[in-house]
Amino acid sequence: MSRHADDTRRAVAERDRGHARLRAVTAAAGVTSLVAAGAVAFALPGAQHAASAGSASAPAAASAAASGSATASTGSSSASKNTASKSTAKKSAAKSSSSLSKAASSPTASSGSGTVTSGGS
Amino acid sequence: MTGITSTTALWYASRATGIVCLVLLTAVLVLGILVNRQGRLPGLPRFAVTGLHRNLSLLAVGFLAVHVATAIADPYVTIGLAAVVVPLASPYRSLWIGLGAVSLDMMLVLIATSLARAHIGRRTWRGLHWLAYACWPVALAHSIGSSGDLRAGPLLALTAACTLTVAGAVTWRVVRAMRATPRAERVAVVLSRAGAR
Repeated sequence: MSRHADDTRRAVAERDRGHARLRAVTAAAGVTSLVAAGAVAFALPGAQHAASAGSASAPAAASAAASGSATASTGSSSASKNTASKSTAKKSAAKSSSSLSKAASSPTASSGSGTVTSGGS
Repeated sequence: MTGITSTTALWYASRATGIVCLVLLTAVLVLGILVNRQGRLPGLPRFAVTGLHRNLSLLAVGFLAVHVATAIADPYVTIGLAAVVVPLASPYRSLWIGLGAVSLDMMLVLIATSLARAHIGRRTWRGLHWLAYACWPVALAHSIGSSGDLRAGPLLALTAACTLTVAGAVTWRVVRAMRATPRAERVAVVLSRAGAR
């Protein structure tokens, strides 16, 4: 009888340990995911691109400037045009992000960052 | 200094959470296969594998919610609320965002049927849970197509690793299933083994 009770107690303790490990692994996965999301956001192509351009303006627009977007500088007079140029900038950024290393070291990014401010702010 | 400013934070958040979500979905799929083949993880009891599968699924849903919310709220591109669940409704990259909507729809079905598992019956739940195998590649296609982030550099390696992991897990499952005794013959096999002793 007492042996049966001991077995039950041991099984319950084992189950509790399993639950505790599950909680720990889940918490670790959650924290890791959050940290990873932050790290990925920090290291994403646009971020490095903007950093290399040395501009506080939007990285998307910086990428657009690097790709030679003329509409960003000329089409910023009206609100609707400005939005359109933002969209263009974003699409250009998405396209240019595939060539991270190229874009990050592109000298044209710094020369185009003046036009960026109007498109990205 | 990074390019993350108040105006671009949503864009970065959307992309980063999308990438993390893909990794989490990969882990969820692999754990699901492990649960199905009654596999174990080192240091964890068998029931914890099922629990981890469920918990990581919920974590992935959380990241997915942030990914979708930030994508919609991002003022740079117009995706629209309807495009979240309606394929091809987005004016921006309609095909690739549409694939994301398809993937999200399948995920919603998986979540809803898992929550209502006791009510819909095991057979129906199991049948619908096969959608997970369609959901992952569609999500991967959405990830690769809608953004260039995963097409180069370390994130390309991450995508390749996720793909290889899922391919390996699916292969493992198929091989294990082929080697396993068919369900209808299991009782006879167990009884014959017991008789031999």
